[in-house]
Amino acid sequence: MKKIFKNAYDYLDERLHLEDLVHFMGKKYVPVHSHSIWYYFGGVSLFFFVVQVVTGILLLFYYKAGPDLAFESIQYIMSKVQFGWLIRSIHGWAANLFILAAVIHMFSVYFEKAYRKPRELTWVTGMLMLFLGMGFGFSGYLLPWNELAFFATKVGSDIAGAVPIIGEPIKILMRGGPDVTGATLSRLFGFHVALFPGIFTVVLGIHLLLIQRQGISEPMHFEHLPPKEKKTMPFFPNFILRDLLLWLMMLNLLAILAVFFPAELGHKADAFGSAPAGIKPEWYFLFMFQSLKYFPAHVLFIEGEVLGILLFGAAFALWLIVPFWDRKTARGEQNKLITYIGIFVIMFIIVLTILGWVA
Amino acid sequence: MKNIIFLTCTFLVLTTSFVLNGKTPESSDQCFICHEQLGGVADQFKKDVHFQKGISCAGCHGGDSKSDDMEKAMSKSVGFLGIPKGDDISLRCANCHAKKEMMQKYGSHLPTNQLELLKASVHGKLSTNGKEKIVQCITCHNAHGIVSVKNPASPVYPLNVPNTCGKCHSNAKFMQTYNPSLAVDQVAKYRTSVHGMLNAKGDPKPAECASCHGSHGIRATKDTKSQVYALNIPETCSKCHSDALYMSGYKIPTDQYAKFAKSVHGKALLEKHDASAPACNSCHGNHGATPPGVESISKVCGTCHALNADLFSSSPHKQAFDKEKLPECETCHNNHEIMPATKAMLGVDKDAVCSKCHTETKSTKGYLVAKQMRSYIDSLETSEELALKLINDAEQKGMEISETKFKLRDAHQAKLEARTMVHSFSEQKFKDVVVGKGLSVTSASIVEAKEAVDNYFFRRYGLLVSVLIISLLSFALYLYIKQIEKKQAESRS
Repeated sequence: MKKIFKNAYDYLDERLHLEDLVHFMGKKYVPVHSHSIWYYFGGVSLFFFVVQVVTGILLLFYYKAGPDLAFESIQYIMSKVQFGWLIRSIHGWAANLFILAAVIHMFSVYFEKAYRKPRELTWVTGMLMLFLGMGFGFSGYLLPWNELAFFATKVGSDIAGAVPIIGEPIKILMRGGPDVTGATLSRLFGFHVALFPGIFTVVLGIHLLLIQRQGISEPMHFEHLPPKEKKTMPFFPNFILRDLLLWLMMLNLLAILAVFFPAELGHKADAFGSAPAGIKPEWYFLFMFQSLKYFPAHVLFIEGEVLGILLFGAAFALWLIVPFWDRKTARGEQNKLITYIGIFVIMFIIVLTILGWVA
Repeated sequence: MKNIIFLTCTFLVLTTSFVLNGKTPESSDQCFICHEQLGGVADQFKKDVHFQKGISCAGCHGGDSKSDDMEKAMSKSVGFLGIPKGDDISLRCANCHAKKEMMQKYGSHLPTNQLELLKASVHGKLSTNGKEKIVQCITCHNAHGIVSVKNPASPVYPLNVPNTCGKCHSNAKFMQTYNPSLAVDQVAKYRTSVHGMLNAKGDPKPAECASCHGSHGIRATKDTKSQVYALNIPETCSKCHSDALYMSGYKIPTDQYAKFAKSVHGKALLEKHDASAPACNSCHGNHGATPPGVESISKVCGTCHALNADLFSSSPHKQAFDKEKLPECETCHNNHEIMPATKAMLGVDKDAVCSKCHTETKSTKGYLVAKQMRSYIDSLETSEELALKLINDAEQKGMEISETKFKLRDAHQAKLEARTMVHSFSEQKFKDVVVGKGLSVTSASIVEAKEAVDNYFFRRYGLLVSVLIISLLSFALYLYIKQIEKKQAESRS
């Protein structure tokens, strides 16, 4: 067996010069310190994305977009297709876990201030992928064309439509018309399986290229340590193999979740039916949805909901460009304000999500 | 002698005083005095209840009835109104009849809401010429010869009501002017009914038009407030038919309403408010109300239960029932107290209706068929229950089984079909429905539901195996990492 692998490797090496790549990776080191665990969440996010791509392609073999076929095709996948239930359930769970892993990854980078020069673009591409991940979630949610998805999309696109000036065109763009119809399903299907994956792949490529080019970020206190005291491990094979170990554990987790909590289907969407009671968006939109409920009807001359959307928009924009306005960290100084803001944001998200969940 | 003269004088004074100032307006009503000489309406008015109560012509026509100068008496300056026309007629009546104190003044205890009711009625809302409503008070009560409702001469006396209503309602030409689709044969039908025949014989107690439709407040039959709106009919009929005292002379039971209320029809109509459910008139007719005879019962029931009636007519029971002069549907289902047709009615148990005629020793063939039919339906129910239990089990385990659940509806449909097919009293036809349509579906559903439950456990075992394999792989990888790192540490040292 070993000989076969060696021959295959030699065959590829002769043509692709793999030795150079292995040498390059072998020279790359990952810092080892008390917060090294957070380095793995980037890889975990990547793993879930790969799972999404694979299961998504498998679902595409049977899924039929269209208001008359979508629900029935999912029903068919869940009941007739061999392991269809497993593929769909894994797709659903991996989507949620991808967002969770990406959010953890983003906050770990934020608190480690790993976005500081020269990694500003790595941060921006990462944030773009997180937004795209949410876009994947929103567009994919409607595809089963069930009652819950229909009304959640209606509410979600209504909220987007409340943004002044650009809101209405965005809503029309999302819905493919003034209402949530079959046109919305076709459109969001296109976004979900073609547009978003295309953009995501490009951004992911840039993100990975930047990481490989710039190496793994060291914590700020590392910079002041003498080289001998800087503990590291080789990126290849040590870090890669540890990543692989975590991926295997995540695969186990996915299998357990998919079997014990399979994806549900509910009732087929009916545009003339009444919205199901207690309709809520996906958990990662819940904190925003819940926050908007606390805004008064009007604040001065502006509608409360519009103000809330604008505030969230501004907060996301500021978050996206944090490497460019956090000058203190860029100068190599400790910026505790950034840490406090981060803690506040996490507390805010957790509390509002819980309130939204129990409401 | 002195006393006799005194009494005679007193009598003469009182008589003169009564003649001059008495209630009868004849003596002082100048309108009446003149019009009496002309004849016509004054003659009619003499018999009028109003005339007898001392109400003069001016009561309705205005003017000064005490003046013998015609021009002065009929001058507008003294309030002469002339002949009331259109809606003014009813308003003129209501001038007194809507005022309690005015009615009491004349010693009347009549209600005072007649105009209010008339305005809300179908007669008070519709108009043919757009100027006046179809019916005014005088349309039914007359104008100058109005007498009490209890007076047999009154057009609204019970014996006269059908003809009074029929004046318009039997007049096709008139009815066409405002409702061409309304039948005009009500009076003709009524005369064929038990009510109508008794009425024609001079019995004022049986129902006439106003008994069911009301008098002043008559509403369209589709109006939910109408006494003859589908949901209100049983109560309307029961006003007389549940009154044992009122019905005592007619020797018919008075428990029909109580029985009907408990029946499947009564519950649908009175509890579920299903206006399409049968009320009394659905079986007995409305204007031509009469109890259906033995021969016509299946036709009456068959107007709704058409398939059942057809199957029964071509079944061997038809001849047997005719021979025994048994009322067809009623023999098994009762008449007013028709209960939901459950499987308990079928078979040879004590409660089964088949066992009324078929026993192990009498009509044995029917006994065996009934027994077999019951066993088919029992099997279908047991099989359906099992299928449902397994489907619920699979659903609770999170399995997608909606298609099977949907398919199982056909078993319920087969049960409903069997309820109809039982009227063929053919074992083979019944079997074709219960076994061919019902049991085949339940059997397939049971197989699919079992597969789903098995699949659930397969998933669990599959998960266990895959988790074990992945865990072993992870452990091997962990050991490999440790081995590499050990080698790296050794090489560094």
